[in-house]
Amino acid sequence: MLAQQYAGIKRDLDEKGIIFSFSGYVSEGILYSLGEALREKMTLEETDGPTVRRVFAVFVEQMQNIIRYSAEKVTGAREKPVELSAGMVTIGMEGGKVFIVCGNTVYNADVPRLRDRLEYLKGLDKDAIKTYYREQLREAPEEGARGANIGLIEIARRASEPIEYDFLQMDEGKSFFCLKARI
Amino acid sequence: MESLKLPATGRTPEVDFDFAQGVLRLSGESYPDDVATFFGPIFAALRGFLAEPGGHPVRFDMELLYFNSSSAKALMNIFQMLETAARDGRSISVTWCYEENDESMQELGEDFAEDLHHVAFTLKQIPADGAS
Repeated sequence: MLAQQYAGIKRDLDEKGIIFSFSGYVSEGILYSLGEALREKMTLEETDGPTVRRVFAVFVEQMQNIIRYSAEKVTGAREKPVELSAGMVTIGMEGGKVFIVCGNTVYNADVPRLRDRLEYLKGLDKDAIKTYYREQLREAPEEGARGANIGLIEIARRASEPIEYDFLQMDEGKSFFCLKARI
Repeated sequence: MESLKLPATGRTPEVDFDFAQGVLRLSGESYPDDVATFFGPIFAALRGFLAEPGGHPVRFDMELLYFNSSSAKALMNIFQMLETAARDGRSISVTWCYEENDESMQELGEDFAEDLHHVAFTLKQIPADGAS
């Protein structure tokens, strides 16, 4: 029964072309370790340096988005402050391209603004993304934002196709958010 | 002014600021878990150095292989400091190194160069070392 259940999960992942997956609480430490494993694997497979870097760059921005913006968090401090944020990260191959999909819950109140930003980004072509990135690089961070605010633009910029995203409302307070980038 | 030297870590670049010689260098990768904590002392040292009278020429070698978007903001800050000092008469040159075939890093260099009018900015292609 146990093996059957987990074989089912594995089969599901395999069918979606997912070769790397993590679900649970992520932290900066986990980002580092998973990132290293990801790079080692790609390097062993003789992926060229710039491609490894592009996949890695998207992975870092996606993970940091989860860490910063997941609506399910545990924070505390023992020896040093720790921030654990629930989310999922999956990396796979599809039609000869690497894809990264991240998922995490967000507050419904944050959905409209996030949706607007993603929809805007999705509609931009390569040159427009570049211009937008340059503009945002010069902007002061938005109120309440911990990141550089250009993480999503960085993802779109390093992707070889327009980004894909989706929201699923879970209850009155939260939605599940997914973002897919193909490299 | 004393030099600022920090060894590279898994997530932060090597910092080698030789203020006496006016030769500053950042090399490696930058995606610190806390950008403000890492770059704070770098900003402070650079600001202090650029404010010193004397106007020693400055050479800044950017040899970064990868940086995340939060680090990009920090680099923008550094470039703005350099541009201001150059506008005020300091001779400042920046060399942006990128590995051959790494278009992303070349483009990012061009992004920063766009705002620099008084800093002498050079893009330099270096051979890929095979490592990522």
